[in-house]
Amino acid sequence: MADIFIDPFIQYVFMQRALAGALILAVSCGPVGVFLMLRRMSLTGDAMSHAILPGAAVGFLFYGLDILPMTIGGLVVGLVVALGAGAVSRFTVQKEDASLAALYLISLALGVLLVSWRGSSVDLMHVLFGTVLALNNEALGLIGGICAITLAVMITFWRALVAECLDPLFLRSVSRWGSPVHFLFLGIVVLNLVGGFQALGTLLSVGLMMLPAAASRFWSNRVAPMCFISIGIGMVSCFAGLVLSYHASLPSGPAIILSAGAVYVLSILFGTRGVLIDLLGSGRHRAA
Amino acid sequence: MFKTFRLATCASLLSLSPVLTAQASAAELKVVASFSIIADFAKNVGGDRVEITTLVGPDGDAHVYEPRPADAVAVSKADVVLVNGLEFEGFLKRLIETSGTKAPVVELTKGVEPLRLSDEPAGHAHPEAEEEEAHDHKTGEAGHKHETADAHDHDHGHEGHHHHGEYDPHAWQSIKNAQIYVKNIAGAFCKADKPGCATYTANSDAYVAKLATLNEKVKTEIAAIPPEKRVIITSHDAFGYFEHAYGLNFLAPEGISTESEASAADVAKLVDQVKHDKASAIFVENITDKRLIDQIASETGLKVGGTLYSDALSTADGPAGTYIDMVNHNIDTIKAAVLSQ
Amino acid sequence: MNDPCLIFSNLTLGYAGRAAVHHLNGSIARGSLTAVIGANGSGKSTLMKGIAGILKPLGGECRVSPAISVAYLPQQSELDRSFPAQVRDLVALGLWPRRGLLGRHRSEDRTAIDQALKAVGLSGFERRNIDSLSGGQMQRALFARAMLQDAQLILLDEPFNAVDERTVTDLLVLIKAWVAQGRTVLAVLHDHQLVQQHFPQTLFLARRLVGLGPTAEVLQAENLRQARHFHEAWEANAPWCAPASPPLPPDPAAPPHAHAHFHANSNSHG
Repeated sequence: MADIFIDPFIQYVFMQRALAGALILAVSCGPVGVFLMLRRMSLTGDAMSHAILPGAAVGFLFYGLDILPMTIGGLVVGLVVALGAGAVSRFTVQKEDASLAALYLISLALGVLLVSWRGSSVDLMHVLFGTVLALNNEALGLIGGICAITLAVMITFWRALVAECLDPLFLRSVSRWGSPVHFLFLGIVVLNLVGGFQALGTLLSVGLMMLPAAASRFWSNRVAPMCFISIGIGMVSCFAGLVLSYHASLPSGPAIILSAGAVYVLSILFGTRGVLIDLLGSGRHRAA
Repeated sequence: MFKTFRLATCASLLSLSPVLTAQASAAELKVVASFSIIADFAKNVGGDRVEITTLVGPDGDAHVYEPRPADAVAVSKADVVLVNGLEFEGFLKRLIETSGTKAPVVELTKGVEPLRLSDEPAGHAHPEAEEEEAHDHKTGEAGHKHETADAHDHDHGHEGHHHHGEYDPHAWQSIKNAQIYVKNIAGAFCKADKPGCATYTANSDAYVAKLATLNEKVKTEIAAIPPEKRVIITSHDAFGYFEHAYGLNFLAPEGISTESEASAADVAKLVDQVKHDKASAIFVENITDKRLIDQIASETGLKVGGTLYSDALSTADGPAGTYIDMVNHNIDTIKAAVLSQ
Repeated sequence: MNDPCLIFSNLTLGYAGRAAVHHLNGSIARGSLTAVIGANGSGKSTLMKGIAGILKPLGGECRVSPAISVAYLPQQSELDRSFPAQVRDLVALGLWPRRGLLGRHRSEDRTAIDQALKAVGLSGFERRNIDSLSGGQMQRALFARAMLQDAQLILLDEPFNAVDERTVTDLLVLIKAWVAQGRTVLAVLHDHQLVQQHFPQTLFLARRLVGLGPTAEVLQAENLRQARHFHEAWEANAPWCAPASPPLPPDPAAPPHAHAHFHANSNSHG
């Protein structure tokens, strides 16, 4: 047993780093994903991966294929798109899904324009998006920092985040903090996504954010437990995926996400709030 | 009035003729080359008689290239279109169709013995080469490390216009193959522009001779590398033909295409390879993200030996602006890194 | 008469340049129990939101006395029922004024929540998911939340919508207890019988003020007839109202008066 599950990590430094980076990201993304899902913004991650292109393009225009400027550029543009979408939905008649769709498409088109104009045929995104097997110290530091910031913000503003989702009108009547906290949350989302893209690639980043969160819905009906469960599922998936990648020679990112996907399907079927529990109801009910 | 009209017509025709004749003595042939290496060959064969447009320029990655309308325009106006073939250019088929070009599309790998993509760890399933340097082959130590799974993994979902065939397309890495490319180019140019044929043939012969000298030089240089130091690590499996022709052993985590993703098993095998003192140098390439190579290098203590040019030339002011420069740069870099370990 | 806790000065509230409530003048006395009535579309909910501070006036002003804290109970439809929360989480939102943005909940808060639930008859419901509550139970939970807010002015927006009779009776008892404690309550209601039986004051809206004062006076036939003819829909070509005059300074000497206002040319406001 040990040689299947433990040895790969003992023997190879890159495996240890991959596991460390992936686990940290799972911890960071789990709660963020739960709130995204509860706010019905589950497709934000995917949209973001396209939206950051002009930022990366600008970084590339000025500094060439250097990761840091491209990442910072991507972060700035990601924030503009996310916060812009939030602002439009708050202060105009539009809802958040539509404003986000509109802004990310504009951003993507701008990005393609910038890239074509420069004339390079290198796939910028291909260069920018990393792989979990190649986590150098900068990348690990980046993910670690993002995790710390995320947890600090989520814990500090927990009640406001919940209130914002549950009864926003009530929150507005007792506090001015509803909107700022929501924007802060969007900022955290972008931070996790962009940092995740750069270090681990889009699939892994978005996948670790949304799949465990989606699965956690079948196990709990309160937000805090859902966050812990999604972190747990994320961590297990990272471990399982890396082991699969090692023993079965599968690409690492997809292996982790498919592990999470398997947990998701199992959760639908066998979760405490899943389908089978429903169907197999004992048929009994209590007297009072 | 009619007389004036005829006079005017004659005058205008006369005045235009210098322009027409001037054009006739400039570029005869509009050529579109799919990527920078082929473009370099074409320049050497065609000289001033050709006007070349390159689709995937220096430092560009043909594996993930997406063509633009300007490319379609260039192709539609071309007299000859030069491509690599062996499914290197995934974007090509639709580009040709869209452009509606009447120009012949010349696959320069015609006549080349292609290497199959093999998943056997030891030895290749390739046919015996005519090349006389078959002696310097690697001694059967851990051959190519591509699992076919790698070569066909695409997790970025690029609208499915990349798919890779069963052959390794990087044929130009063997200089003997390069000579075939050059001869094919000359043939194509001759067909498209008969008056210039003499020039093309002369240029081609001269360049082929240069390539022959280069070939000898490479062989000598590699012979100077001790056999046990001939295992090298790069980003993606681009050097199969080089390996086959000259006896070095190239390993890579990323498989045939830069679009695929490495598995942990692949990376682990490479790390093992280096650790057991079987790989002597590790290199990044000009078209790929270097982080994976850095990771392997840092884990094994092997320093990155430099940049190799695989699928594209560098810009003109870089170290690999022409094919000959590229080969020289690669072999010098390899030699320096290997012998210093 | 007690000091006013709420003063409206030429208040106009609306959305995107359209007024739902025009030129409202009047005041609400402290410790009073006032029903806000009017037909659908007469501006009642809008007025509640304006008082709660959620909606900024288009003109005029709505002034709440400085020492008065406000609790606002929105219509149920605004809540996300599918959100994974239990009753205790919903009720705990009422602690916000005490704890603020960053404060942690303390052990006495738990007791306060339990007491509030008991007062509304929901003991034992702490761990029930909110999506499993009936309309009446949800309304009780929201009342418990309002209780925890411990506010001096309580605004109830249609609290008895789709609620069973027993709950209505129980909640009325609660409301009267609040008034007995000196709090001021405004409640939007549709049932005129209920208003006549339990609410001493009435504010009658028909996009403008029809009447404000003792219920018996306001609920006269004449007012009811007038209100029936108000324009519920917004007219595309209605003339613009004159810009709102600046708010009158409060006159502490003058006793607040509560009597019916009529605008002479009600029709010209479209």
